[in-house]
Parts: sequence; structure tokens; C-alpha cells
Amino acid sequence: MNRMTIPIGPQHPALKEPLSFLLTVEGERIVESALRIGYVHRGLERIFQDRSYVQNVHVVERVCGICSHIHTTTYCQGVEALLGLEVPPRALYLRTLLCELERIHSHMLWLGVLAEHIGFTTIFMYAWRDREIVLDIMEELSGGRVAHAVNVLGGVRIDVNQEQAHSILGRLDELERQIETFLGVIQHERTFQARTRDVGHLSVEQVRRYCVVGPVARASGVDVDLRRDAPYAAYDRLDFRVITTQAGDVWARTVVRALESIESLRMCRQLLKGLPEGPLAARASRRVPPGEVVSRCEAPRGELVYYIRSDGSDRPARVKVRTPTLTTLITLPDQLRGINTADVPTVLSGVDLCIACADR
Amino acid sequence: MNVDAVLEALRETLPSVALEPRTFPMDETLITLPPDCVHPAVGLLVERFDLRHLSTITGEDTGDEIALLYHFWDGRGLTLRTSLPREDARIATVTDLIPGATFYEREVSEMLGVVFDGHPNLHALLLPDDWEGEPPLRRQEERQ
Repeated sequence: MNRMTIPIGPQHPALKEPLSFLLTVEGERIVESALRIGYVHRGLERIFQDRSYVQNVHVVERVCGICSHIHTTTYCQGVEALLGLEVPPRALYLRTLLCELERIHSHMLWLGVLAEHIGFTTIFMYAWRDREIVLDIMEELSGGRVAHAVNVLGGVRIDVNQEQAHSILGRLDELERQIETFLGVIQHERTFQARTRDVGHLSVEQVRRYCVVGPVARASGVDVDLRRDAPYAAYDRLDFRVITTQAGDVWARTVVRALESIESLRMCRQLLKGLPEGPLAARASRRVPPGEVVSRCEAPRGELVYYIRSDGSDRPARVKVRTPTLTTLITLPDQLRGINTADVPTVLSGVDLCIACADR
Repeated sequence: MNVDAVLEALRETLPSVALEPRTFPMDETLITLPPDCVHPAVGLLVERFDLRHLSTITGEDTGDEIALLYHFWDGRGLTLRTSLPREDARIATVTDLIPGATFYEREVSEMLGVVFDGHPNLHALLLPDDWEGEPPLRRQEERQ
């Protein structure tokens, strides 16, 4: 059969962010694919070197438009480690609360995108409607739906009073009922399974070979989660499960993310009920003593790494960011090989790409 | 990961190298190696300790040299550091041992002008195809 090469992107109706693919097909079957990223590269790592540590909190928040809070958390805890700063427990709890709310919002956003790509518009509508519950909570707490500016060096700049905590707990119960409904659809609806089962399969060996992280790795049975394996913020004081499945396909990734959202809700309840009293931030000096640090956090998409080196001035000598999407992008040619062209959107959305994160 | 066992094995395999282990905050150990020892050291980590999770490779132009840091993670962090001359920055690729390093090496290559010998495709990852001029993370002048 004749081979044909089809370019997709960087600007394309099926893609939410700029990304370019060159698919080589034989009929409907994909033989080969080549990937090109970098269309939203903003030179952020260069920008970090010209800003002070304090200014950079605002810059790192803008690496990603979905998981902005985890970027400032990873950056701030790295700088705080260089400063040898003890962050007050109340601040750690509030940081962690925002991390988990953000995970729920990211997973529900993703569920909507996947549902739309497989033609399941009902779930798309409901998932995005119910995601508003989390966005409303985050807006009430911080003033921002996406960029929250919650973290400062040494702590946080928001607080939660008893009345707010009570109101949030009620809304989290409502959200849990909705996510349980979605989970029922994912597990029992045959049309959903027909589009996602055995699509975009990754084996344990592939996950390890490409250093894949996060829910994609856990859906293939690789049991890694920094919240449990190297606890940061308040995670060592929380009771939660790390969700893994063995199937390794897009369906398994959906189950993992839905169950993870429920675990995140449980964590939010524990954090709100056990919120310790005390100050919200410790005082951080503007200059940072010379040193190096590697700061790691579990972002909604997996391990997020910041390397920060200080030369003793008020500006970092080097800040390196590795976002989790970079590890999943590399698996796409393997996942696309041999599949039907109609499954391309399912595979692309299945790994939960954040191109702005990857391009920086 | 047992850092002491890793250090012991590295000393055995590379007897002529002073590893100078240092620790960072947040449970990270850093080992300094000459450039030609990086590939054998990574091979040892992968084969003997099954340490295959390379978080990323950081490249930095310190003004005198190009520093490369290979950040591994398995329960705790291990970083291998090496430095290359600015004029002729080349090093053997580790993509044959860790295919996940492909993008990391491409990024270091375009941003700092480091050549990774044996890399399957050192095409630009983030910069445009028609990019001309110095690699963007090379220092142009002394910082004030």
C-alpha cells in the first residue's frame, strides 16, 4: 500500500496547544511519526538569571497555565532549603491544600479533554462544569482561578478561617459524588471502554526506558509517587493511597486519575480539619548563601524537578526546570506506531500533555 | 538507593578518580567525575544498581567551563557532575544506556553548544529551525 505523509500542527483544530506531528501512514495505519515542539518556548531559564529570587516566584508561576501552584511550591522549597529556612506548619498545610485542589482541577480538565476527543460530549460538559467547584474554591482562597500567587519565600500569603473551611468541606462532598459518577461511567460504560482500552499502551519496560513519571507511569504498574517516596510540604502528616493499575493503556490512565482525584479530596479534608495554628510565613532574606539544591515535587502530571544554584547574590546563577510532560512526549512515537489514525487524538490526550510546560 | 554502595562500586570501577562526594540540602549527593568517566559511571548505575531514572541533565555555563549535572533519583537523589572546556564541549552520549535522556541531551546541546557523541539525533528541540547565533544559555558578558 502507498505510504503518505500527513503534517498535523503546529496550529490545528484538534490540538489545544502548538505541537507539530509528521505522520507517515499506510491507509489508516500509522507507520511512523516525528514530533516537533518548541513553538511556545519563552526562554524562561534565561529570564530566571536576570530576576531576583523574589521576582522569580512570579515568573515560575507562569511556566504552566494549569499546574502553576506546584511550580512555585517546588521553586520556593528549593530556595528555602538553600536559606536553611524553617517554614511554619500552617503554611505547609495551606501549600499542600492548594497542591491537591490543583491536582483535582488538572485531572478533571484532562478528563473533559479526553471525553471530547473520544466523542463523549456528556462527560466533557459535566467534568468541566464540576471542575468549576474547585476553581471557585481556589478563587475564594487566593483571588485567582489559575495563577494563585499563594506561595512566597518562607510560607504563604493566604489564610483559611473556620467558616471558609466549613463551606469548602461541604462543596468537596458534592464534588466527590460527581467524581464517583464519572468513575462509574469509566468503569462500566462500553462506548467509553471501546475507545480507550488497548489504545496507547505502555509497558513497564517502556516506562522505565524513557524515565516516564506520574499517572502515566502508575497506570502501567510503576509504583512511584514523590508525595509518599520523598514527602515534602505536609505530605508526611497525611494518610493517602498511591493508585496504580497494570493495564497501561488510556483507559488505565483514566481510572488512575479519577481515583487519584478522590484521594486528593480525602487529603483536602484532612488538611482542613487538622490545620495547625501559627504564623503564615517565616522571614526570608533577599540574598541567598552560595549552594546548590535539587527540588522535586509530584505535580499533577508527575515528578517536577528544579535545580537551583546560588552564587551568594540576590539572583540565582542557574535555575533549571524539568517538567513531567517532557518525559511523556518522548513515548509518543512508540504509542502511535501501528495504531489507527482515528485513535491519534485519544493517544495524544491520554498522556495529558502540557506543551507550555515542556517548551518553557 | 544505598549511596555508600554506589560510591564503593564507583571507586572500584574508576580507581584513578577522586569522587569528592558532597551533599546538598533535600537529600541529594553530588559526585564529581572527569568527562570520559561519565559514560562508564552511568553504565555502572544502570547495570549494577538498576538506577535508570534520570530526572534530567542540567547544563550551565559557569564562565570558565560548561558544567553538566546528571540528576538521578531512586528514593533519594544522586547527581553526577562533570565539566567540559568551553571551546570544545563534547562528551559521549548516555542515550544508549538511558533512551529517556534523548530530549535532555538535545536541549543541553542547543542551549549550550555541547556535542553529545553518538546521539541519534541532535536536532534542535526548542529553538526554531532557522535559529542563528550563539547558543542562548552561553554567557555573553560577566554578570553585574
